[in-house]
Amino acid sequence: MSISPFLRSPFTDITGGLVSHQMLGKCQKEEMRYMDCLEAYGLERGRKKCAYLIEDFQECQTNTKQFKRFMAMRKERERQIAEGTLTGDKKYVTPRIDSY
Amino acid sequence: MAEACQIVRKQDLPPPGGYRPIPFKRIPAKSYFSGLTWIAGYIGMTTVSAYLYYLNCKQVKKAKIEMRSAKMAIYPMLLAERDREYMKQLRRNRDAEAELMRNVPGWEVGTYYGERVYKLVPPDALVEPIFHEFYAHSDPSAWVDRTELKLRS
Repeated sequence: MSISPFLRSPFTDITGGLVSHQMLGKCQKEEMRYMDCLEAYGLERGRKKCAYLIEDFQECQTNTKQFKRFMAMRKERERQIAEGTLTGDKKYVTPRIDSY
Repeated sequence: MAEACQIVRKQDLPPPGGYRPIPFKRIPAKSYFSGLTWIAGYIGMTTVSAYLYYLNCKQVKKAKIEMRSAKMAIYPMLLAERDREYMKQLRRNRDAEAELMRNVPGWEVGTYYGERVYKLVPPDALVEPIFHEFYAHSDPSAWVDRTELKLRS
């Protein structure tokens, strides 16, 4: 979100693209879609109407859900190891080197 | 006091016939070659070594070109192998997740307690995992190794 509607000058127009994903950013598509949606519905109604679009954008921006998934899985794995269910070779599934 | 000091003293004097002459004349080093021969030798040696350097340069250039060609030839294969291994690991991760979270209530594979990561992408689309997620089931030491490599490179 930029400050441009409240304070608009040639400088905000030029630098507006810098703080968004529109300069070939990772979430270019998601950002454009939710911005279009907010433009159509406005902020108040857009919060409800564009909820999924905003959520997808936030996920793309922060990767929170993926990280939460990782935390949950790591916790469960550690719990099972401590419990003694997973032993030996079944403890971990390690990726081969250079695969990521 | 004359009777207290009866020793006969000997005075330092020049040897008979006087001192030898002092060699103060400059003795120049022996010169084996004349100046022109030195310059000719320098030019000749430089020419020969420049030719040798040229030969060596050609060889090195050839070796470099060959190495570059080999790298360019092998690069697509390495990339493909990496991508293949990545996809295979994604499948292994999915299976490991299904196996691991079987008894966790409300958990579906690929979601966070049934909540999809991206709501609006088609169900069969590939959502690329983040680094932690890719290494979620790995041995912590492998994770540490990979992280260190990433931070160093």
